[in-house]
Amino acid sequence: MGYYLLRRCLQMLPVLFGVVLITFVLFHVVGGSPAVMALGKNATPAALEEFDETRGFNRPLLWGSWTSTRAWTDWDARRGSDRSGAWEGTTGSRLDAAGAVLFSPGVGVVPLACPLRANTDYRWRLDVRQPSGGGTLAVTAEGGAPSTAAVPVPTRWTRLVLPLAAGAGRADGLRITVTGGGPLEIRAARLERRMAHPWDSQLAHYLGQVARLDFGVSLATNERVADMLKQGIGPSLMLTAPIFFGGLIVSIALALICAWRRDSWFDRLTVVIAVVLMSVNYLVWIVAGQYVLAYHAGWFPIWGFDSWRCLLLPVSIGLVSGLGANLRFYRTVMLEEINRDYVRTALAKGLGTPAVLIRHVLRNALIPIITSTVIAIPFLYTGSLLLESFFGIPGLGGLSINAINSADVDVIRGVVLVGAVLYMAANLLTDLCYAWADPRIRLR
Amino acid sequence: MTTFAPESPGVAFAGADAAAGGLRVWRGLRSGWRTRASMIVLALFAAAALWGEIVYRLAQARDRTPSYAQLNLDARYLPPSLFRHPFAAAAGAEADAPQVGARLYAGLRELARHPFGTDNLGRDVGQRLIQGARIAFQVGVMTALIAIPLGLLLGLLAGYFGGWVDDVVVWLYSTVAAIPGLLFILAIALVVGKGLTGVYLGIGLTTWVGLCRLIRGETLKQREQTYVQAARAMGLGHARILFRHILPNVFHLVIITISLRFPAAVSTEVFLSFLGIGVQGEPSWGVMLGNARLRLWQGMWWELTFVTIAIFAVVLAFNLLGDALRDALDPRAASKSEG
Repeated sequence: MGYYLLRRCLQMLPVLFGVVLITFVLFHVVGGSPAVMALGKNATPAALEEFDETRGFNRPLLWGSWTSTRAWTDWDARRGSDRSGAWEGTTGSRLDAAGAVLFSPGVGVVPLACPLRANTDYRWRLDVRQPSGGGTLAVTAEGGAPSTAAVPVPTRWTRLVLPLAAGAGRADGLRITVTGGGPLEIRAARLERRMAHPWDSQLAHYLGQVARLDFGVSLATNERVADMLKQGIGPSLMLTAPIFFGGLIVSIALALICAWRRDSWFDRLTVVIAVVLMSVNYLVWIVAGQYVLAYHAGWFPIWGFDSWRCLLLPVSIGLVSGLGANLRFYRTVMLEEINRDYVRTALAKGLGTPAVLIRHVLRNALIPIITSTVIAIPFLYTGSLLLESFFGIPGLGGLSINAINSADVDVIRGVVLVGAVLYMAANLLTDLCYAWADPRIRLR
Repeated sequence: MTTFAPESPGVAFAGADAAAGGLRVWRGLRSGWRTRASMIVLALFAAAALWGEIVYRLAQARDRTPSYAQLNLDARYLPPSLFRHPFAAAAGAEADAPQVGARLYAGLRELARHPFGTDNLGRDVGQRLIQGARIAFQVGVMTALIAIPLGLLLGLLAGYFGGWVDDVVVWLYSTVAAIPGLLFILAIALVVGKGLTGVYLGIGLTTWVGLCRLIRGETLKQREQTYVQAARAMGLGHARILFRHILPNVFHLVIITISLRFPAAVSTEVFLSFLGIGVQGEPSWGVMLGNARLRLWQGMWWELTFVTIAIFAVVLAFNLLGDALRDALDPRAASKSEG
């Protein structure tokens, strides 16, 4: 048994890794720049860089030795980047109509948005040409060590990668020295910082975070995601637990009666109602319920989370909308059991109907019931996205919708990860319950 | 569910003469009135989608605002024509024969004008419903075109080859299954961008898991059957065995899955469009539902009602047809559900 548990837990690890990977990649693409979202558009590049550094956003995504830096905005004339912004304050340059930036022979200084870090290697990737030919180009970080020897500039567009050696001081500009020839043209420029370690990536940072059970910080509210999850779980459970258990009891009870009185008017009516209930859209239940029962009839509060009365309507909507599918499923399961010989035997030896139904039929129908029930438990945790956002219940469902709308990456990741872990745990629990319900099943 | 009782429930469909089997299934499907009714509903749905597509294409080709998007501020909030008492004038008039005829004609014209009413901008609800049918149909078909081949292929490969292929496929679908579904769909739709493509990919890339599991399990069983061993002994290649011999014997699962997934995809699209992630600038049922919800407070009940009825009819028809298909195609499940 212990061995079985251990083996199952080990089998979960690759799936967990897959979930982490998918959430990482997917939600990374969703969000824009988290630093800009958190600090606002008017934050200084230095502040943004600082934010990125503490949260690990300035590293390569999966792996890589070079990463972007906020000291210089990537600029590419062919992609229509704004040259006045990138090259603002540059001495020794002028703009030409074609979109490139021209440097005449001499010394020009390009200011940086924020100082380069001390003792860190950078490199500048330039798309340059010098139509006249014969000139050389050298780039040095201001205050840093004179890094490269002058490189000859070709006459055709070429990408030059110019290393900038680490200096002890803080450089806040790049000195460009052009000697000989005519004007030098630049049409794209990208400044990159060397990582101390190629695997020191955002993924590694994220995996480390997950391993420490640290889900990060919400970009929208600056709260810790772990705290938000803890606060949201209560309201979510208050909504989903009654739906879950209420639905379970009602649908199993009805299914038992249907199976017992098979093909009676009650059975037929219930089946028809179940199919009809299944076919009504979930949104319609909510919209119509809110309008007719809460607004028009005034039986329930329309919105809010002040008292238990607020939960009545969402719970009943959740119950009714889920009832159809459950009822049909359980009825099929019960029908399969109710014609078995042991039921006839039990009746023949004089047991009452309730005893037969509950002690014998229900007991033997447990396996499929467990399968469908236990696997639904994780959804208790994620809450109901729609019900919560419609009725203003501050649970995890509403939280996720808000997070998706505002691209609050860490919150979504947190909800998805915990949900996935619970799903896997529920899977394991299902198998354990099998063994409990049917002693013939051995866990190996 | 006993919507349809196969003529010979004991005979397994797998391995039987395919043409005769298909004919039997078709005959069986036509026998129940519920199945027949749902087929009629679905035919109407497909016709509406086709009509909507023609209207849409024509408007695009002529570079005009399509009629379903035309604003008509004089005719806002018009209730359905039956509720506008179109014959009130004709009925209340004295017995003046030619005038009654003219009034009757006017009444009929009034009845035909915006029969489903107009919305808050004076757009015709009936035409928008048809456009909604077009989009719902597209979503159902496109998501099936993404999810079904994916699930089918992965399931077949995993079940047939086993070993590391199986491990990889099982890992893949366990991973996708572990991620809360709706959040996953929302995230994919956001990554791809607002619009129908995001909806297609979001739903398509998350709903292949069920089919993949089913096909894998069934292929595992079929692999041990004698016909597969015979095919292998005859020296047929893996591809030929998989697609010519095993595939036809597991294909009933595909049909059942499509009948179950189609309405689910329609419902999910409604939800996504309602949230503003799905269709942009076109009247899908979800967009209409969102609009109708806001106007409900102003007494505009008809848009919500008609959209509800449309979604309900299509989903119900698919549910009934799905039941019948399952009973007809999967004799094992059918005999199970018959007790």
